[in-house]
Amino acid sequence: MKNLLDNPYLALLVRVFVGLLFVVSSLEKIVDPAAFAQSIANYKMVPEWLVSLAATILPWLELLCGFSVLFGALTRGSSFLLSAMLVVFTLAVIVALARGLDISCGCFTQDPTAGKIGWLKILQNATLIVLTLFLYFSNSESFTLLQLLQKSNPGSDQPH
Amino acid sequence: MIRFKEALREAGILILVACALGLVYTSATEKGMFARSPRSKTAQRTDIPTPSMISRNEAKSLFDSGSAVFVDARHDIDFNLGHIQGALNVPLKDYDVKKSVLSGIPKDHLIIAYCDGSECNSSIELSVKLMKDGYKNVRIFFGGWREWVDANLPIERQP
Repeated sequence: MKNLLDNPYLALLVRVFVGLLFVVSSLEKIVDPAAFAQSIANYKMVPEWLVSLAATILPWLELLCGFSVLFGALTRGSSFLLSAMLVVFTLAVIVALARGLDISCGCFTQDPTAGKIGWLKILQNATLIVLTLFLYFSNSESFTLLQLLQKSNPGSDQPH
Repeated sequence: MIRFKEALREAGILILVACALGLVYTSATEKGMFARSPRSKTAQRTDIPTPSMISRNEAKSLFDSGSAVFVDARHDIDFNLGHIQGALNVPLKDYDVKKSVLSGIPKDHLIIAYCDGSECNSSIELSVKLMKDGYKNVRIFFGGWREWVDANLPIERQP
């Protein structure tokens, strides 16, 4: 297990996949926050003022975390936030399913024809939770922005 | 523990930046929570009454009497999979393009808008658009497709 967490290539692969996924999925929500707000409201779990606030901030948080994971900067914080968000989203989907709501997920696209929530969505989210937790516990600092900066300026971390 | 503290510190930074970007962007573009309220827009148009909602029984009576046209606000893919018998499809998102299917209906004819059911608002939004376009007699069947199917009422599918 420790070998896996230290593997720089696996960490890079997961970072690129998770990072790109959240960057791309956040863009549609940023462009059309009203549609995203409607997706959140459909779950009927949070008050109206919180729906508007979440629709305003969450897409940007996804975008920042996506870029952060992609470039390997603030990876610990961004993977922690992504894991937390995914857990909350998954719980929301489970509760909505249990209440018999027939709604679109609003997770990665706001297109209502993209598919309704279901157990497949929970499985997808569970997989993403595993990947973000992997990034949280990963010790690899290879192929990150920090490493790139240190390589381009090797004397910067030497004592003066 | 050090890892967790580091994560919390970084998460705090990310949340603060996301809050700032989100609030600045949506207020600058007047989107989302900073969009002008549709209610205030409607309030300026005092000539447009609010469409009223009808129950499944009322919808069924009007269906049986043939005195109303049912208009389905859902996406055409959902419509083709099944809809209230005789209903016309005007998907909300393509309203301006698809409203031509209503061109043969007199403006004072009774129109009943519906969508998936109580979990969607498309029927409400569609009925407001119809009234803005001059249809005087619009009702909303808010129980929609789901209530209709649950009651085993007449449906049809697109071939």
